[in-house]
Amino acid sequence: MEQLQEILKEERQQAWREELRKSMKAKERTDMPRVKMLEQDPVERAANHLEVNLGLMEKMAVSEARRCLDCANPTCISGCPVGINIPKFIKRIEKGEFLESARVLKETNTLPAVCGRVCPQEVQCESECFYKIKLNKEPVAIGYLERFAADYERNSGNISVPEVSEHNGIKVAVIGSGPAGLAVAGDLVKWGYDVTVFEALHEIGGVLKYGIPEFRLPNEIVDVEIENLRKMGVKFVTNFIVGKTSSVEDLKEEGFEAFFVGSGAGLPNFMNIPGENFSGIFSSNEYLTRINLMNAASDEYDTPVVSGKNVAVIGGGNTAMDSVRTSKRLGADRSMIIYRRSIEEMPARVEEVKHAQEEGVEFMNLNNPLEYYADDRGRVNKMRVQKMELGEPDSSGRRRPIPIEGSDYFVDVDTVIVAIGVSPNPLIPASMPDLEVSDWGTIKVNKETMESSIPGVFAGGDIVRGGATVILAMGDGRKAAAGMHEYLKVKARNK
Amino acid sequence: MADLTTRYLGLSLKNPIIVGSSGLTDSVDNIVELEKAGAGAIVIKSIFEEQILLEAESSLRKAYEDDMIYSAKAEALDYLDLHIKEDTLSNFIKMVREAKSETVIPIIASINCVSPVEWTSFAGRVEQAGADALELNIALLPSDTRMGTGEIEQIYFNIIDKVLSQVKIPVSIKISPYFSNLAQMISKLSATGIKGMVLFNRFYSPDFDIYNLTEKSANTLSTPAEMSNVLRWIAIMSGRVECDLAATTGIHDGKSVIKQILAGADAVQIVSALYMKGLDQLQLMLGELESWMDEKGFNYIQQFKGNMSQKQGTNPAAYERIQFMKYFSEIR
Repeated sequence: MEQLQEILKEERQQAWREELRKSMKAKERTDMPRVKMLEQDPVERAANHLEVNLGLMEKMAVSEARRCLDCANPTCISGCPVGINIPKFIKRIEKGEFLESARVLKETNTLPAVCGRVCPQEVQCESECFYKIKLNKEPVAIGYLERFAADYERNSGNISVPEVSEHNGIKVAVIGSGPAGLAVAGDLVKWGYDVTVFEALHEIGGVLKYGIPEFRLPNEIVDVEIENLRKMGVKFVTNFIVGKTSSVEDLKEEGFEAFFVGSGAGLPNFMNIPGENFSGIFSSNEYLTRINLMNAASDEYDTPVVSGKNVAVIGGGNTAMDSVRTSKRLGADRSMIIYRRSIEEMPARVEEVKHAQEEGVEFMNLNNPLEYYADDRGRVNKMRVQKMELGEPDSSGRRRPIPIEGSDYFVDVDTVIVAIGVSPNPLIPASMPDLEVSDWGTIKVNKETMESSIPGVFAGGDIVRGGATVILAMGDGRKAAAGMHEYLKVKARNK
Repeated sequence: MADLTTRYLGLSLKNPIIVGSSGLTDSVDNIVELEKAGAGAIVIKSIFEEQILLEAESSLRKAYEDDMIYSAKAEALDYLDLHIKEDTLSNFIKMVREAKSETVIPIIASINCVSPVEWTSFAGRVEQAGADALELNIALLPSDTRMGTGEIEQIYFNIIDKVLSQVKIPVSIKISPYFSNLAQMISKLSATGIKGMVLFNRFYSPDFDIYNLTEKSANTLSTPAEMSNVLRWIAIMSGRVECDLAATTGIHDGKSVIKQILAGADAVQIVSALYMKGLDQLQLMLGELESWMDEKGFNYIQQFKGNMSQKQGTNPAAYERIQFMKYFSEIR
């Protein structure tokens, strides 16, 4: 930590940084309002799947970068799960050196274009910004600036592809092609390993592709990162379920010497209330995967999802927002969020809630479903909902929802999406009995190396943390890559 | 030889001794052993509404303390209480199902509830799992000064109403004696459609460690002295209710079983006796009952059930206050 502080101090004292700081008085900087992200018009965007946020223009980005005070003690870094050198990349933007800014980001963040879009900065880096904690003002738009730099690099055609060391012939298997798996693959292939990523679905990218809709994270952004990895020599095998198609033991026999498990948390949870089995009631996983990956919104494809006119989404997180906003884009007259706590307590990002509200989503807070009813063909047509009130806080500090007796009422619905959180993928733990798992079903790992209870098997991302964030998954992946590198070096020495 | 069979909640029991909800009935293995030991029926260890809430709270706290588990604004933890509840309920349902497949005696599922809200759908699942009956242990200690008498009592009716609307299996309730007019309450409850009432549940008994100045538990197990209040109320209410009556608390030997049946109980529930004396106590108690019936010339339980109740007995005043005055006036 001290070493890092020293490095940050030295970098801050570089001439170009000092010059930038002197170029504007602190008061001038703090008087500037935070930049507003350019967005598609709500009415228009509720009928298309194009990205809602349009990104900052260059002048806007430079202006926002000026707001950053380049603090002597950059508390923003402590809010970043992977410790991105935030002042450094922002000051490069202020200097107009956008490609250099992207390079700085990529020192710690393999997927800055993704993280700039989907990270909950408001509870991470931006929540620790000097503006927020000392001045009680809106923080520097770190997320918007990160996206800007990453997008600039991508659009310039000058994407830096890291150099790859000489191949060492050692095969490593990465299970899961989500952010954790992609991060591991990126680092290991750079260090000369023969990396194969095994993905259960037909598309690479994990939750980045199947979970997050196009209007939040366009697939082409993810595809650019995947293409970079291919250029570096990473192999991808799709439609391959490790634990079913082949076991880890089978892969060992094929010569793989270390494994990274990044199989995520894609096991849907349901409420187990009466009628939940009726046709037209989906898990958010299924609903979003069908639409995001299988073109279910288009009649031209074989796997349609009938997204009705009265759609209820149960839950209050980002997945619920993604689901309800998708239903709007599929033509719902009523797209409802049914959440048992208040709007302030929803786990979804504030921006997602705001966008959903603007798009006409109805927020039925302090409500909870009790039962579903169906027509004579078994298709859901109605739900019974109960009103809730808030009681004493639970361990999370949020007030516990308490049902109000006798407050039941009916709501017409023809599609219901249950988005109440997901659980870790059970396949790998089930196929490896010696693998230690927690009470939550997550794989237990050494925090420093990310190695599991089985030597040579590492893990990271949602399979270790429960449903978490892209940046945490990526940070885990990078740590695991370092752990695997050490492990394989020792193994090679001992041969 | 006396026939010990009886009917309780519309179920045929090979004898009137039921093992009540406790640690003795918390696993299928234990339940099988109790059947072998001679139990007439089993009440599976209660699922507690507060226990589920506490467990959910504890799990949430552990998640927040585990720095590998993502907890800040975590969707996965948002409905954790629901998942914990579902796991707990699923395990309970599984136990009911397995107990039914391994035994032939009636298996009664038990829920310890404090509100009508949570149990409606669960009651239906318990029925689907094969439980022969459902016992609602409504353990409301009237300690909330903000609640009026009527409000507390209404909770009982609301709970019963909710559950009865969901199941066809017989439902019984286990209550405490803490009502301003216990007789009226028991009478009204018996008319709701329930098939049985168990008198009385025992609350946690507090005690103080005066040397360490801490609270502790007293009287975890019942004593025979606690039987008399139950005996009184079984005797008073027998023949005056529209459902079966079961006696519990303080029944430690065969004589106590006999007394409760004479008072009018259709069955008894025992727990502490088995904790203190082992499962063999069951056979001893049944033996005492049988010997007494033979001695008295009773071939069937029905022949003496309720003979000493207030309604049928020769001294109805025995259970009333005036007898108390007479009893104590004779002590010098």
